[in-house]
Amino acid sequence: VQRRREIASAPKRSAAEVWQTIRRLFGDTLDRSSSVERADVDAALDPLDGVARMLISAGHLEGHPLVLVTGELWLEITTVSGGSALSLQENLNPVPGGAGASDWTLYVPQVEPMDKLVRTTVKGHDHLSADEPTALVQEAAKASGGVDLDAVARWAREAA
Amino acid sequence: MSTATATTTYTYTHTATYLSDVIMGTIADVLALLGITPDGATRWDQDQSAIAAWIEERSLEMVVLECRRPDGKVRPIFEFPVIYKATGEGEFENSRAAMARAHAKITSVPSGTTYRLFCTYRSGYTPQPGWSPGTRASTDGLRSTSFGTLAEAPHASASARYLR
Repeated sequence: VQRRREIASAPKRSAAEVWQTIRRLFGDTLDRSSSVERADVDAALDPLDGVARMLISAGHLEGHPLVLVTGELWLEITTVSGGSALSLQENLNPVPGGAGASDWTLYVPQVEPMDKLVRTTVKGHDHLSADEPTALVQEAAKASGGVDLDAVARWAREAA
Repeated sequence: MSTATATTTYTYTHTATYLSDVIMGTIADVLALLGITPDGATRWDQDQSAIAAWIEERSLEMVVLECRRPDGKVRPIFEFPVIYKATGEGEFENSRAAMARAHAKITSVPSGTTYRLFCTYRSGYTPQPGWSPGTRASTDGLRSTSFGTLAEAPHASASARYLR
């Protein structure tokens, strides 16, 4: 199930506040699963605290989403800045589909000139990937005739 | 017949949050482009918060990014002057796309180059956590290139200059 959420950034929120909002949304969504611990989600996202602020402030998440893949859920998060941010109708409720999560991966976009920094930041961290999620889904579809998004999440971590 | 109208009031806080965000985002892109390791999240928050506070109180003249090479030379330098408006009219706009195109003009720096941020002021300012008085490096002999307006907001605008 593909879902999208837009988060208002500046001038409504600073980059730090945007990242906290996104972290909370991920945590609230995954917390609905009996297989995922909220504290583990928080710890897994900690390595992104610096680069996420940079991506948000530079406006890169406006056109290149963070993608959370878990179970049957494919969640894309983008940001909205400027005057549109002040009138944006946000939905910050937990995203449906999180209850079925047993494994999850957050894909961070490799946007120039921050591509190398993103790759370095996610390297070696479970649940974080700088890969392009679309390609992995296509690969999974070819291999199995269907898309096992849990498998995609596992493959991404092994490849990282 | 009845009519309805919606009016959005932009505050100095909105302007300060927006401009500080665009300036910090531009600095982030420049550091990434040059391969300079950025400071962590805590320092980032201190810097963005301080810049926003100084824009809101209209004391900030410019933000300066100095790249300090291993041999002690300081270049390039990026300046982000802030111009204040008499009225609070206008919208939030940025020229990030133009700035991205300008990246091609930025020359590389040697490995081990670090950076420092400075702020200059047009009036008295409120001290902010993590910031202390400092002295900028000389810009004598450096060639300046304007990258034009970086962002517009209702109460102020910010531009960018590149000195190499």
